[in-house]
Amino acid sequence: MLKVEELVKRYRGVTALAGVDLAVGPGEIAGLIGHNGAGKTTLVEIVAGLTRPDSGRVLVAGWDVRRRPAMARRELGLAPQEIALYPSATVRQNLRLFGDLHGVHGRALRSAVEETLADLQLEEVADRPVALLSGGQRRRAQTASALVHRPRLLLLDEPTAGADPATREALLAVVRDRAREGAAVLYTTHYLPELETLGATLAVMAAGRVVARGEAGPMLAALPSEVQARFAGRVPGPLAGSGSVEGDLLRIRTADPERAIASIVEGRWPLRSLEVMRPTLDDLYHSLAVEATDAA
Amino acid sequence: MPPEAIRRIGALLRHNLTLVLQEPAPLIARIGSPMLLMVALEPLYRAALAHEGSAAGRSQAATGMLVMFSLLATSLVGSAVLTERVWRTWDRLRATPARPAELLAGKASAALAVLLAQQLAVITFAHLALGLEVERPALLAAALLVWAMALLGLGAAIATLVRSLGEFGAATDLLSLGLSMLGGALAPIALMPGWLQRVAPISPGYWAMSGLEAAERGDAEAAMRSMLVLLAVAVLAGGVACWRMSRGWERSRLL
Repeated sequence: MLKVEELVKRYRGVTALAGVDLAVGPGEIAGLIGHNGAGKTTLVEIVAGLTRPDSGRVLVAGWDVRRRPAMARRELGLAPQEIALYPSATVRQNLRLFGDLHGVHGRALRSAVEETLADLQLEEVADRPVALLSGGQRRRAQTASALVHRPRLLLLDEPTAGADPATREALLAVVRDRAREGAAVLYTTHYLPELETLGATLAVMAAGRVVARGEAGPMLAALPSEVQARFAGRVPGPLAGSGSVEGDLLRIRTADPERAIASIVEGRWPLRSLEVMRPTLDDLYHSLAVEATDAA
Repeated sequence: MPPEAIRRIGALLRHNLTLVLQEPAPLIARIGSPMLLMVALEPLYRAALAHEGSAAGRSQAATGMLVMFSLLATSLVGSAVLTERVWRTWDRLRATPARPAELLAGKASAALAVLLAQQLAVITFAHLALGLEVERPALLAAALLVWAMALLGLGAAIATLVRSLGEFGAATDLLSLGLSMLGGALAPIALMPGWLQRVAPISPGYWAMSGLEAAERGDAEAAMRSMLVLLAVAVLAGGVACWRMSRGWERSRLL
């Protein structure tokens, strides 16, 4: 549904994208993560046709974003990072306008608007001007305006930034539903647990490139776990060399935690606790993005 | 034009008119102010142009205030464009299938309706309150339409070129007051210093004054000449606005 090839973009001598390749298939939620300034928003803006790349190509549902912009934009729904709705118009008026401009009219538009309002729990504030909504309601209205025409590609740039837990939950549920229905979703965020909730694949950006791409599971499996053993007294001498020691606590970073546990248990030393810390998305992000940024 | 494009322009027009009607105060001010000034200044203009007859003073009061306040109304057009940049809705619109020309047409149609409403109200008031005579109403209507198109282009061009609200305010002040003065809307051209009279034709306001006055007295040839110049201004300024809009704005510094 989305294919990005060798995308390069420079702003006044600063390289924002240094050759990005990325593909997102139907029904897939791709979590785009990276530091501030890694190039995530620039990538989203180029895919949406808002910024011209210096070189490279973007295809949305097979349509080249630069050569056939209108056809490509018909297939996408954009919720930018900052709220971009008409503040004096009501939520319903905003949704009607964006639906209309994407080719949904008349009765179909009316029912699409009602359905989207219900999906994002906005029925009660549907006829209220956006300027009078709470922050969370604005976030939901913004996402609703990107969803109303049921796009095949959803570009959500930090859609839950500053949102309360209820808003976040509602947004994630709708994104999951739309992906289940076949939409491809490019989802940028700094809240990595959201990507676990969404079951998203990962695209880690650093220094203007995608430095890692794929399912979270295998990528996490490649990272070491940490075995933490706390002893009743000092860490036994024979074990001290196998990891780092802090008083009565031994930490062992290993790709094979079972073997580390066995070596601790077999010695029958007086243990107070034994825990295995599996790598999280945060660990993965740091190991990939930080290393790549440092290397650049 | 494809039917889908017409539908999109229609949707934008409806939406933009809704936005104008949600906040009508600026439009009311731009309509009411020239009426008040027209009544207050008409005796002064009549005295100043006594050698040309009383009709000249009346025409100067009506047409001058119309031109000056319609130039001030470019701020309405410009702010309609600029607020979309402030609200970041331009980028949302640009991410839809609507082409830049459609976006501009949707915005422009609503703004054109606002400008025409202002001009019609002011000219009708001048006829009723001051007794302004119009020899050829159809010619005057055509001249008002072309002038409104030129104003539209100028307002849109300014709003797409400036980098901040401060710049926008400065540009519209300079444009409206400078072009009004230079065009003879504030003081009759005949009373201005010679060098100003010579440079006056660089102001679109000059062509608006001469075109509208020619239309009022029924001089089709002079009116058409002015309308052609104003049409060129409209095309040029509108082209600049369209070009700038199609390029978008990088994450902005001052807005």
